[in-house]
Amino acid sequence: MRGGGWAAALVATPVAVGVTYSLAAATGLAGYGAGGFTLDRVERVLGEAAVWESFLWTVRTAALATLIAGAAAVAAAVGFRGSSALDRTARALAVLPLPVPHLIAATTAVLVLGQSGLLSRIAASAGWLAGPADMPALVYDRGGIGLILMLGWKEFPFLALVAFSVLATRGAALEDTARSLGAGPWQRFRRITWPVLWRGLAPAAVAVFAFAAGSYEAAALLAPSDPQALPVLTLERYTDPDLARRGDAFVLTLLALALAAGAVLLHEWLRHRVERLDR
Amino acid sequence: MTLAALTLACHQPAPPAADLATVPWDTVLARARGTTVTWRMWRGDPAINAYVDQWVAPRLRQRFGVTLEAVEGQGPEIENQLQIEHEAGARGTADLIWINGETFHNLRQADLLAGPWAGRLPNAVYVDSASPIIRRDFEQDPAGYESPWGTVQFALIYDSSRTPSPPRSYEELRRWILRHPGRFTHDQSFTGVTFLKQLMYSLGGGVERFQGGFDERTYLEGSARVWEWLEGVRPALWRGGAAYPGGVAELHRLFVNGEVDFTMSYNHNEAVTKVRQGVFPAAARALLLRDGTLANAHYLGIPTNAPNPAGAMVAADFLLSPEAQLEKARPEIWADGTVLAPSRLPAKWAAQFAALARDPRALPRDSLRKYARPEVVPEYHERIAADWRARIRRRDR
Repeated sequence: MRGGGWAAALVATPVAVGVTYSLAAATGLAGYGAGGFTLDRVERVLGEAAVWESFLWTVRTAALATLIAGAAAVAAAVGFRGSSALDRTARALAVLPLPVPHLIAATTAVLVLGQSGLLSRIAASAGWLAGPADMPALVYDRGGIGLILMLGWKEFPFLALVAFSVLATRGAALEDTARSLGAGPWQRFRRITWPVLWRGLAPAAVAVFAFAAGSYEAAALLAPSDPQALPVLTLERYTDPDLARRGDAFVLTLLALALAAGAVLLHEWLRHRVERLDR
Repeated sequence: MTLAALTLACHQPAPPAADLATVPWDTVLARARGTTVTWRMWRGDPAINAYVDQWVAPRLRQRFGVTLEAVEGQGPEIENQLQIEHEAGARGTADLIWINGETFHNLRQADLLAGPWAGRLPNAVYVDSASPIIRRDFEQDPAGYESPWGTVQFALIYDSSRTPSPPRSYEELRRWILRHPGRFTHDQSFTGVTFLKQLMYSLGGGVERFQGGFDERTYLEGSARVWEWLEGVRPALWRGGAAYPGGVAELHRLFVNGEVDFTMSYNHNEAVTKVRQGVFPAAARALLLRDGTLANAHYLGIPTNAPNPAGAMVAADFLLSPEAQLEKARPEIWADGTVLAPSRLPAKWAAQFAALARDPRALPRDSLRKYARPEVVPEYHERIAADWRARIRRRDR
């Protein structure tokens, strides 16, 4: 327990330092031009419509990517849970992309999905497209389709790995019991497999959401210029030619932190509620 | 409390950058011997890295006993890092930095540059101090707080096989864009903003009108013409002007993949080096717009918290030497413009500069000189960048 406390402190300290500095820099206590406590910057940044468009766009993109990855993970875990050679091969294939770095995945997405990318070239050689401009925009597109697909693809193996182990360790015995009590396949899925799966997957899905919302490299390569992804907007402000605007980035960092914290709290609250209902 | 502890832990005695202006050069050389110079610089071009790591570094070690270590970092990153080090009272992590324009302006504003020292370098006598491009850095007097290193000029890049007769002025470019919808765009970062700034000077009656400090009215009149020009061509821009590549590297990619017909660079020679590297198609060429294109010099600075300012001065002096400048100007090395005036050089060196082989694909020196326009105060850059983001990039919904 004592060791655990130290480990937790070790993990939490850099975060605490970062949050403390961000708070100070957002409120005029640190950074260039710091001149004493003021909420002017916070008010100005949070009053910008562009900031909230960016925030909502990022929430939507991260949520859709998490949803796609989660649904695919559940489907894979339920569909290939047996011990046949096919099932085992499918499970191994599903987790194969896990070690691919996000930067490589994003670059690959540009090369495949871009208007001059692989898909476009295949379509052009098949005579379906006359030129790059005929290819639907999947990169830098306002819908963020390229980014959602890439993040969904990249996060799927992680959630699948969690789903496989949840079902293998917690699902099987309960389902056998239910079967011996006469439950049909649909009943077993609805009353046992699904609840076990989602509760096991939810913390991992929250982590995926927070990561997807905060990841810079994928958004920098795939997201549109309007609205901007929150991490891209944050770095743009941090490197603004005008020194006075750089502190804006710390307000945006705190906003991103609030988003991630909100996702964690929402998960805790849901879990609590469901557990109370169960009892 | 954690923050306070960290700050205390980082506190070191003041670095020895105070007496740079007065110490005899022999003492500087003696102090530098046996030291390491950390040079924070943009590391994005293999040709530049090769010049620095394989040509400059070994000579610095051999002749001056100085070990050169180049590390990544440019413009805003350098400013932010120095600012944070300054707040923490920390000893610096860089001795030499590669800067110009806004970075110089911002670092001077925050008092993070050591100096004056640049005029003391023995090789400073050869500098072309009559050139408006070198004497003023975005209209600011370097005042010895940075030493010139090289010159570059803005150019558009096109594929001469794809676009045999490219536009040669902003007006011709406007008509070209309208005739070729979806085939032109600019990036959102430094190079793209420079393109917009040039457009502002061209539409606003020449860069001279913008000289002499920032003027709100001049800016508003000039920028209004830019917004009008952009709105006029917007439907014919790449993606209908709804999306823009993040940086010039992405714009290069669009150009290479045939999504657009132009890219651009604030280095007139990038077309040549990228063709050599096999990145650009063989027929890629640079072109200068007749309205004039911006040229500037890039410089070397020493942060106030540099741990090894003497070593940094020795390195800066060697980089300014005719020998190092000549090597850097060779088309097969980097083709960076020299900051030295041939007329001030000993005859032997002047002849070698004159005899520099020209790459037939490169822009002729006469045209470069003819169309070069100086940069003006950085406020114009800051304002047009911020207003473009708010007015053009972000569309009303």
